[in-house]
Amino acid sequence: MNMSDSERVRTIIETQTGYAWTDNEEEANMLGILACSVRQKAIDKVYSRIQKWNKWKHKKSLLTFISGCILADDMEKFLKLFDIVFRMSELEKLPEMIRQYGVVTPASLFTDLTAMPKNESINTFWKVTPHYSSGFEAFVPIQNGCDKFCTFCAVPYTRGREVSRPSGEILDEIANLVGQGYKSITLLGQNVNSYGHDKKGEEITFPQLLERIGEAGDNSGKEFWVYFTSPHPRDMTDEVIEVISRYKCLGKQIHLPIQSGDEKVLIRMNRKHTLEKYRDIIHTIRRLIPEATIFTDIIVGFTGETEEQFENTRKIMDEFRYNMAYIAQYSQRPGAVSSRWVDDVPTEVKKTRYHKLSNDLRRVSAANNRAMVGKIYRVLVTGHDRKAGYLSALTEGKIVTRFASENHDLIGNFVDLKITSSTDFSVEGEVITKT
Amino acid sequence: MTKISENTTKVHHIRHLTPSTYVLRFDRDQRPFTAGQHVILGIHGQKSAREYSIYSSENDDFFEVLVKAVKPGDVSQKLKELHHGDLLSVEGPMGFFTIEPEIVTQGKVVMIATGTGIAPYHSYVRSYPQLDYKMLHGVRYASEAYDRADYDPSRYVLCTSGENAGNLHGRVTDYLLENEIDTTADYYLCGNVKMIHEAFDILKEKGVNHAKIHAEVYF
Repeated sequence: MNMSDSERVRTIIETQTGYAWTDNEEEANMLGILACSVRQKAIDKVYSRIQKWNKWKHKKSLLTFISGCILADDMEKFLKLFDIVFRMSELEKLPEMIRQYGVVTPASLFTDLTAMPKNESINTFWKVTPHYSSGFEAFVPIQNGCDKFCTFCAVPYTRGREVSRPSGEILDEIANLVGQGYKSITLLGQNVNSYGHDKKGEEITFPQLLERIGEAGDNSGKEFWVYFTSPHPRDMTDEVIEVISRYKCLGKQIHLPIQSGDEKVLIRMNRKHTLEKYRDIIHTIRRLIPEATIFTDIIVGFTGETEEQFENTRKIMDEFRYNMAYIAQYSQRPGAVSSRWVDDVPTEVKKTRYHKLSNDLRRVSAANNRAMVGKIYRVLVTGHDRKAGYLSALTEGKIVTRFASENHDLIGNFVDLKITSSTDFSVEGEVITKT
Repeated sequence: MTKISENTTKVHHIRHLTPSTYVLRFDRDQRPFTAGQHVILGIHGQKSAREYSIYSSENDDFFEVLVKAVKPGDVSQKLKELHHGDLLSVEGPMGFFTIEPEIVTQGKVVMIATGTGIAPYHSYVRSYPQLDYKMLHGVRYASEAYDRADYDPSRYVLCTSGENAGNLHGRVTDYLLENEIDTTADYYLCGNVKMIHEAFDILKEKGVNHAKIHAEVYF
């Protein structure tokens, strides 16, 4: 999400303020942060970074700003540390804030930043044509905010309620990207598959949106893959899966966060779905799209998680045979409901559970990858690999792949690979053909 | 009534049920609402806000929430000090602890609550007069049987843990353990997480399908 946000912020700054982009932090005259409130660590890093920048102000002219997912308490603190603080939905005001800075200060007082976020003005933000940072991979926001109120998460309090972007704008942006030859497009939203719910029948639904993208994509004569992240199991319908199975351009990779494999932990997390409902979704995916890869997110050591409840999470790793899982040790996030509860699982226990579950993942992922050996996969070449003389690529299922090649022109293009070997989290192959 | 702004509304009045628990009524401003949903409420101009299940009916032209004042400085305590005409910040309604229409018309529901967890059920019962329900309300003392007269006495079971003054002297989970369970009904659990976890285990043990258990944790 932040990648997509930053592309739009960059466009506004470059086109409306006269500042030019630099990759060198030390030579910049304006520095900004798009914060993420999902983890406290990310916010802690903001504080250390701004202290450094504020010291630089003694030596040179420097303007600082911050936006993104920020809780009201942090907003108040940032107002004292940054020159400009704004909500992402107020991006259109940023050039004026920059121009006015020093004339009317603080520029961030254009609005009440500590009030509950209102999302209606996010529509203006979506209209900004971003400066895409990659020539073949793009992120397209389709939805903002969250109504689910998972107890471990502060997003509903930083991003506000769910708001869907008009489907016409989304389809136009995708058509434009496809026309420019983009090969991987990811639809973004905090609850991407709740798309349209807020419009109460006045906008198409998420499966209908996917269907229109699929139809247009398959008729375009271009080759590309469209993904989405992150969906919520509560809103994942059979119709979504059925549509993905039908269109070639809809990537056969589904990221479906489970967070815990224990019913009672799911209740305490306020996830609003049962394990049974999640299991049904996985069965439908396996039935309709047998080749699909499945990724997930899991939190270990959530408040009150017992050893037995953790073991239930280990069981689902074997049951669902994930291709990848992003595992996090629970940490309290101020603003989230669970921050009011005692964080009663000791750090050492969290670490142990993290390592056990990571080992489980390694085992199932390795088995999945071994099954790929000897088969041919279409891959999108994404860049240089760490291994000298090799390029990195992703399969349609987003399995990390590498192959020997010095031909840098392949980056951003599709090739066919025969998989020759595998490791726990990647595979290696040989080029069969080149497009 | 005129809205001050999209997220602002006016207090009607407060009705005190016990020294700490009260019903706060405020303008609905024609916001669409399904029984079981909640709002985020705060004092206008202040940043702290909390989620409260709506207590009133879908058919009322106002909203009510059932609040227990927890401790000084909390939103629940500040809301208690409001007067007619004072401004509230309100977001929503939102949420998913609602009853499917076919269950309302054809199903049987067992609603289990502790304390102010009864709020969404009050909204169900007031919104759906035809609802075939049974209510288990767990409190410490009978004085916390909030608006008991609003429920059909033959469908309402009061479980009091701190005194022998209800239909059962004990917890709602004791009632579930001691009585026969209708496995065809849909079960709604609302209140503290400990009760929800215990009730969940008992219902599972007694053969109720996961899909028929719905929970809303009060924080």
